[in-house]
Amino acid sequence: MNCLLLEVRLYSGLEKFVAGATYGKPLAVELPDGANVKELLAKLNIPEVEVFSILANGIHRHLEDVLNDGDRVALFPPVGGG
Amino acid sequence: MLKFIRIDMTAKKVTVEETPEKYLALGGRALTSQFILDEVPAECHPLGAKNKLIITPGLLSGTNAPSSGRLSIGGKSPLTGGIKEANAGGITSQKIANLGIKAIVIEGMADSGTYIARVTADNVELIPADDLAGKGTYELTSILLERYNPKAGIICIGPAGEMKMLSAGITNNDMEGNSSRYAGRGGLGAVMGSKGLKAIVVEADKTFDAPVKDKERFKAAAKKFAQILIQHPVSGDGLPKYGTNVLMNIINEAGGLPTRNFSTGRFDAANEVGGEKLAEVATARGGKATHACHPGCVIRCSNVYPMPDGKVCSPIEYETAWGFGPNLDISDLDVVAKLNYICNDVGLDTIEVAGTLGVLMEAGALQFGDGQGAITALEEVAKGTPLGRIIGAGAAVAGKVYGVTRVPTVKGQSIPAYDPRSVRGNGVTYATTTMGADHTAGYAVTANILKVGGFVDPTKDGGQIELSRNLQIATAAVDATGLCLFVAFAVLDNPEGLPTIVEMLNAQYGTELTVDDVTALGQQILKNEREFNAKAGFTKADDRLPEFFYEEELAPHNTKFDLKEKLDEVFNF
Repeated sequence: MNCLLLEVRLYSGLEKFVAGATYGKPLAVELPDGANVKELLAKLNIPEVEVFSILANGIHRHLEDVLNDGDRVALFPPVGGG
Repeated sequence: MLKFIRIDMTAKKVTVEETPEKYLALGGRALTSQFILDEVPAECHPLGAKNKLIITPGLLSGTNAPSSGRLSIGGKSPLTGGIKEANAGGITSQKIANLGIKAIVIEGMADSGTYIARVTADNVELIPADDLAGKGTYELTSILLERYNPKAGIICIGPAGEMKMLSAGITNNDMEGNSSRYAGRGGLGAVMGSKGLKAIVVEADKTFDAPVKDKERFKAAAKKFAQILIQHPVSGDGLPKYGTNVLMNIINEAGGLPTRNFSTGRFDAANEVGGEKLAEVATARGGKATHACHPGCVIRCSNVYPMPDGKVCSPIEYETAWGFGPNLDISDLDVVAKLNYICNDVGLDTIEVAGTLGVLMEAGALQFGDGQGAITALEEVAKGTPLGRIIGAGAAVAGKVYGVTRVPTVKGQSIPAYDPRSVRGNGVTYATTTMGADHTAGYAVTANILKVGGFVDPTKDGGQIELSRNLQIATAAVDATGLCLFVAFAVLDNPEGLPTIVEMLNAQYGTELTVDDVTALGQQILKNEREFNAKAGFTKADDRLPEFFYEEELAPHNTKFDLKEKLDEVFNF
């Protein structure tokens, strides 16, 4: 079976769900071909309810969206400012 | 009676009048813009005797409405040549409201000398203060707190304002005496400086006791509003944890972080100057990752960042961290803090200085990434050298002096921390707001990036005009209330938000306003400002972005800004 290799960054507290992770430092994550964001969160043990914004290559995505090999994925809780 | 104070700097005379009927129901930006339209000739020189400054608390300021301590300052802007309302947190707005003062107007101009005004419960006096001329705002504030009252609110300018630099702001202090709460944008500090007024000392014992008609009703509404703010994930959790600089990484990931003077939308080292890093360093050094800029704020988005030299910078906001970080190719938070501190002390708007340094780097007068070079250059401002004066004059002037074509300004004011090509709703706001490029005037980052108040694709044109229009109207109204703009996150998402604000206003003033009246107020404010700007000579051509945003693609989404004539539809109401 083919695999996806993703470059994942966790921010603003989501890094605390993954042992050894640091905010903003890329994690290499491997998932089966055709995996979606839900499966990524499951693999990282990040509760879905904690994740508010999902960006893949700078584009907003949903939990059901399928990821592609090489995607730069960034996960955020609710954030704001201005 | 609500007092309306006029300080005539030409005659050195203070007049305390009853607030004119016309202004009784107005506050904050609603009052400043109406007053400037009424009393300042639109064609006047902004640094001449005919311009006026008006300082006023928002309508709810001085009560226990949560996060309601915003102070509005209005005048004709020397930077844009148009109308200006700049607002600030800090402790002074609540004090002015608790003294029963509707507004303080500074008019005329002293032919020489430096003055301060002292405002107490039963007196307003103008005091010669030549000994304070040229002082930085931190020292000045500390002297005035010691001289008059350690709990005073001190509204003041630094040397940049005294030298009438176009980017000079007006500041006031937080609860710890830091003079860092700026009505920063548009050069109103130069207007205050032109009049010969260095500071206003405001002494009031009370913070939350401004007159309220129906106290029980008000209390219930204020309590409910606090819950609405605390329950929203952004105002209740995200902002208190990491401050506004939490935005650095999401704007970067979204590809909208202007880097190297708006050359690209991503900065490799954004994480080094973001909110998470700031919170980590500030806490490790004994500072604070959360801090309230005024009593009664439940959002507490401010921070206290101890610097290596032993001083503290409080706060470092996202726009400043962006401006002195990615915008200049600088990835050292201590450099960002130092540049921020110098701006606070000398009295300059950090966003405008950031834009200006970016233009100087574009010109090759400074080098991108050279933090020490930027610090050394910024230190020239206080000395009033030619380079210092160019930096203090803003990005548009610096661009002209150095022959730069990539100058990110609208109406002469620098574009802040969201690239209009990939955060297009904000591009619409930058182009069309009466204020010159201003992210707060219609903060479309909410729906474009943060998914608050719906979602509008940030790289497409569809929906952006309407988004910006609605936000500009709502923001003008919020700016009238004295509520911090950050209540908008909760208000946009919670249908009970706006009715609760209206309930607080009605309980305080005994009025019967509806939600529709608030929208009408926002529209009226914008119409007044547009009328002033039209009289000052602004046309549709001023409601456009600089050419390079239409011609250069921005990575990583490789998008250009496209909207031109369509922008004229923003004010179709």
